[in-house]
Amino acid sequence: MRSEIELTANWVNGRTLDRALVNAGSPHANSIDSVTVRVAANASVMVDAAARLLSLLNQLVACTKRVVLEFESEDGAMGYLNRIRFFEFLSPQVLVKPRRPSVSIGALRRGRSSSLVELVQINRGARARRLPTQLAERLGDACSERTDEKELTDAAFTVFSEIIDNVYSHVYEQDQAELDGFVALQVYRNGGMAKVVVSDSGKGILHTLRPTLSDSRLLRLSDAELVVEIFRQGISRHGNTRGCGLKASADSAIKYKTVLDVRLPDCRVFLTPARGKYEANTAYCQEDLPLMWGTHLCFDFSLGN
Amino acid sequence: MNPVKENWVEVRLRDLMSLPDGWGVEEGREVYHKLLERVEVHSQAVVFRISLAGVRRTDVSFPRESVIEMAYRYRGQKGFCLCDLSDDNLAENWDAAALKRGQPIFVWSRKGYRLLGPLPSTGLRKVLDLIMEQDNITTAELARHARATVSNASNKLRALSDGGYILRREQAAATGGIEYVYKRIR
Repeated sequence: MRSEIELTANWVNGRTLDRALVNAGSPHANSIDSVTVRVAANASVMVDAAARLLSLLNQLVACTKRVVLEFESEDGAMGYLNRIRFFEFLSPQVLVKPRRPSVSIGALRRGRSSSLVELVQINRGARARRLPTQLAERLGDACSERTDEKELTDAAFTVFSEIIDNVYSHVYEQDQAELDGFVALQVYRNGGMAKVVVSDSGKGILHTLRPTLSDSRLLRLSDAELVVEIFRQGISRHGNTRGCGLKASADSAIKYKTVLDVRLPDCRVFLTPARGKYEANTAYCQEDLPLMWGTHLCFDFSLGN
Repeated sequence: MNPVKENWVEVRLRDLMSLPDGWGVEEGREVYHKLLERVEVHSQAVVFRISLAGVRRTDVSFPRESVIEMAYRYRGQKGFCLCDLSDDNLAENWDAAALKRGQPIFVWSRKGYRLLGPLPSTGLRKVLDLIMEQDNITTAELARHARATVSNASNKLRALSDGGYILRREQAAATGGIEYVYKRIR
């Protein structure tokens, strides 16, 4: 059977990508052997959707499905994806229509935009040691008119380093995933925000954490509530002395009223700060989503004070 | 070569790091091993002052896996404290790391000291403040000062020493035999 995913919204973000997946049905389903993703000519793909789509398409190829990515126009979304190095990391087995770009604009112009950090791979190989600094400073540059630019840059460094370290330590050093993870940043000046995405194809934080929990209070929590607790109090399967990474990341993000979108294999938790922290009662959870392996985080930083 | 004065050694953390920004478990463990080499080279030193000069930023995991873990490992035998840490954002992450590991660590500056990580109980706090003011104290001196029994003074000093707030050293007592002297970590 074929699955056809239509990306038609003017702005395709993580939420609208999920909506398109729900409409099409799960491309990971065993009955599906061929998947086509169509991107409308007027669609602008945002960086969070781009990273998730990249991970998903590579996952589908790894499951031996035939995958086609079809653009109505070679400008617009296709040009943007080329600029952020999407096609460099897209499995060569994905058929791109009308044609796969022959040159990666992102590779040619890498690091030259003040509002973009192009997609960077995360895998078992050497760590990108400068990556958190690069992301934080690019975000700081975008917020140079803020009075607290230095504090924001430092907090952003903590956010990115803890999150990226978490992916290296938990996903790639423990053989949870064969496929690469990705990190990118895009500043949307007109939207007054910057999106930072960290996407991996591991088992998802809840799938690895739940079997190790012994606290009955935690065991009773829903997925959304448990995600909130991971970021609020720092729960780790390695015991009490670990697990500060995601908490530290959230503590720093909260100071700048950062919105956090967490896409897990079959659900999505949207965390908005309330009273200086992330709370379960203000978290929005969307369950029973089509399968997407891994943990896909998106931080929305406000550019204004 | 680091300056060795009496029984303390200063180590510039930046010299053990690849970049001015330190992050992650992996780099923290690398630095831990480099720091361990320094500690073993200076086996007679009792206190290691870790200078953060030149360290621009760290996350929480990096200090937890490096300096804080080292202080925890040598708790009761050697003391580790910090200096050249004036950035509040950096101090906040080191505080979070020390709290997570349950290992207190002092930061020294010209203005004095501040304590990162877990705080002692109110009762122990007064004793700790006294030791921080006067460098060292014996059980008998504390008992006299606090008008407490020797046993009570001894328990409090022992609790602070076991908690990693102070160091305990043996010395010859004036009356003969051995007595313990409790020292601040500086």
